[in-house]
Amino acid sequence: MKYIICFKKTGVICYTSHLDILKIFKRSFKRAGIKLAYSQGFNPHPKMGFAQPLSLGYKGYDEYIEFETAADYQDKGPEAILEALRAIMPEGITLVSIKEAPEMKKTLASMTEAAEYEIRIRLGLPLQENARELWKAYMGQETIMALKKQKKKKDLVLVDIKPKIREITFNPKGDVLVINAVLDAGSDSNLSPELLIDTVIETFGIECDRAETEVSRIKLQFKG
Amino acid sequence: MAIDKDLETILRRVEKPARYIGGEVNMVRKNPDDVSVRIGFAFPDTYEIGMSYMGMQILYNILNKNEKIYCERVFAPASDMEEIMRAKGRKLYTLETFTPVDKLDILGFTLQYEMSYTNILNMMDLGGIPVRRDDRISGNYPLIIAGGPCAFNPEPLADFADAFLIGDGEETLEKVCIAFADAKADCLDRTSLLEKLALIDGVYIPEFYEIEYGENHEISKVNRINDSAPETVTRAIVKDIEKTEFPVKNLVPFIDVVHDRAVVETFRGCTRGCRFCQAGMIYRPVRERTPETIEKLAMEQLDNTGHEELSLLSLSTSDHSQFEPMATGLMGLCKGRNVSLSLPSLRLDSFSFKVLDEIQGYRKSGLTFAPEAGTQRLRDVINKNITEEDIFSATRQAVELGWEHIKLYFMIGLPTETYDDLDGIADIARKIMDINYDVRGRKGGRFRVTVSVSNFVPKPHTPFQWEPQNTAEEFVEKHNYLSTKLRIKGVTFNYHETATSNLEAVFARGDRRCGRVLEEAWKSGCVFDGWTEHFKPELWAQAFENCAAELGFSSGSEMEHFYNYRERSREEILPWDMFNPFVEKSYFVSERNKALKCETTPDCREGCTGCGVNKYTNCFVNCK
Repeated sequence: MKYIICFKKTGVICYTSHLDILKIFKRSFKRAGIKLAYSQGFNPHPKMGFAQPLSLGYKGYDEYIEFETAADYQDKGPEAILEALRAIMPEGITLVSIKEAPEMKKTLASMTEAAEYEIRIRLGLPLQENARELWKAYMGQETIMALKKQKKKKDLVLVDIKPKIREITFNPKGDVLVINAVLDAGSDSNLSPELLIDTVIETFGIECDRAETEVSRIKLQFKG
Repeated sequence: MAIDKDLETILRRVEKPARYIGGEVNMVRKNPDDVSVRIGFAFPDTYEIGMSYMGMQILYNILNKNEKIYCERVFAPASDMEEIMRAKGRKLYTLETFTPVDKLDILGFTLQYEMSYTNILNMMDLGGIPVRRDDRISGNYPLIIAGGPCAFNPEPLADFADAFLIGDGEETLEKVCIAFADAKADCLDRTSLLEKLALIDGVYIPEFYEIEYGENHEISKVNRINDSAPETVTRAIVKDIEKTEFPVKNLVPFIDVVHDRAVVETFRGCTRGCRFCQAGMIYRPVRERTPETIEKLAMEQLDNTGHEELSLLSLSTSDHSQFEPMATGLMGLCKGRNVSLSLPSLRLDSFSFKVLDEIQGYRKSGLTFAPEAGTQRLRDVINKNITEEDIFSATRQAVELGWEHIKLYFMIGLPTETYDDLDGIADIARKIMDINYDVRGRKGGRFRVTVSVSNFVPKPHTPFQWEPQNTAEEFVEKHNYLSTKLRIKGVTFNYHETATSNLEAVFARGDRRCGRVLEEAWKSGCVFDGWTEHFKPELWAQAFENCAAELGFSSGSEMEHFYNYRERSREEILPWDMFNPFVEKSYFVSERNKALKCETTPDCREGCTGCGVNKYTNCFVNCK
């Protein structure tokens, strides 16, 4: 049976990577005694995957993992799986809900299309502009060029990220600039909040320490 | 455990921040106010290395089972983290509660290898603790203790630690913690506490002894200056490991570490008597766990950790008296759970091949042999009981079963070695290639041989403890010679950094005066000396030079010669003579004499060879 669990990743466990979290879940299933279905072949691995990787250091409030069990847990109901996992999950990973997904053909990863982020940039100097002026100055640009590292070659190339920004608001609150943004996410088109932050800092000439910038993923949006 | 904003911003700046957050699965959480004594178990290397060390898991488990004790973990931060911590004035902290280490009652370092010694000083300093014991006596600092294999000669660290634990730590460490708690309750002063500790088997209090040196730099006298201190410190021993607590709720790291798997120690000790091997001497006698217990521990660990790999720990896996039924049983259990089984250091007989073929299946990793020396003559000198026929017949079987990679381990610089012995190394590699051509045909497929050569480091409490080590020049010459000889198609040659091996030998057999050099090197910037990218040989050379005069030597190189490149006489008082490893010094002498005559000593399973251990404890505990 296929299931989807919605979870949050908060607290210090945010300093683990996407691959670490994958391993944490894999081991948690084993510890909870939930038998996953395994792929065939020389190197069998359990059938499970995330909707969208979450960068190291980010908090996630609406994360999804899908998996397929080998044994049938239907008589106990999916809630039993959730309870068994909750009892042993490390601090910082909060399991919110579970649902059965028997009819799902495509993977969650291929269904993901956008993600909503909250970005908090700690400002060296407060900004003069208000929220509206900031929006105008930023989104009023014809193109928003960012330097992106290419996956394989590792060269930096200039890309226009404006078409990948679906919604954005700027809220200056004293020494913090809060940005809420819905960005393309998934295999078709993807925008990392890091690139967005680069361009915001550049556009407004912000003096800040990147290590004090906090990013949370508030929501994932799926096709259909 | 919530962490403060300040630490969060530090974590966002460093590589692999999860090294510094704790919170792993099976981490022990206690309220520090509810315990009588708090100890930090400090591993003087990075998180990834320390978390792979089973000894930490064993002691963490035992100490934390005691409700009076809270044992937390401390690792050496990488240089990027250290830099920021120092800049921000953040002290080294425990991963369980983020407590600065200077607020603990005890800070205990594990001594696994000599090249981690500068990290010990650095970690104390990062924790706001003066490194020298003399500078701590007036203040309120944690008790600094240390244990582990290198504690069998702790003298180079004698001026830094308050107490050393020699031998098995399972019982001693808990006793030390409880003695500390009692002393605290009774408001005992420091000396009274140390006097109590000195009465525990295996505990060494360096300040209770004074060392005198003669004109020739050798130790002339050891004075006991406190009546509680024993004449010789007898190593602590766990007589029956079957009855000793072994962890089943192991800490499971979030991030990849060197060894990330379930591990069960199958037995302690080794009977083979290789003359260069310190572990083979100081862990005697053989004490086994029964296959039933091993199986039970393994399954409980797998249940509690979710690990996907199980490995067995001992000095020689297939020497367990019931190895075959045990391996067969574990294979079955692992298969049913999608867990892979890894069996290190197997002796390659037909059963091992059957097991390896089954557990490795299509993905055959390399097969490893450790002949250690290139000729039968030299293997007899070191008492390494493996013949060329053993290697070649095992190789033939391996090639026939589909293995494509053979790894060979050798040591150079062994006593009595000549260039003929180096030629022997190349001969073995070439013959293995020939066996492959013979089986697979003229092209030989993708078959490879890797020859790894390490530099012999004479260790205390071995028959070779008196031997000079090769100099850097001698090692380099031998490496160059081998590089030429091993230019064989399909053969890769690796060797170990020379300066590190020389330094390791100095500290392995050093005395208290070496502590001065250690401190000087650390002050000049040496840390993580075991890491090639951090090792700074020129700073070390300078440190020897700077300390020489103060210690009565004419130069740094005279000092290095004294500690490492001269043969010590059998009559000399050695810095580690005051520690009793149970194996008698006369046995080391007789083994050394036999070595020089190329005489072997059989495995003591075939009959007692008279090392002396059985005067203190039973041999072959739980062996069938």
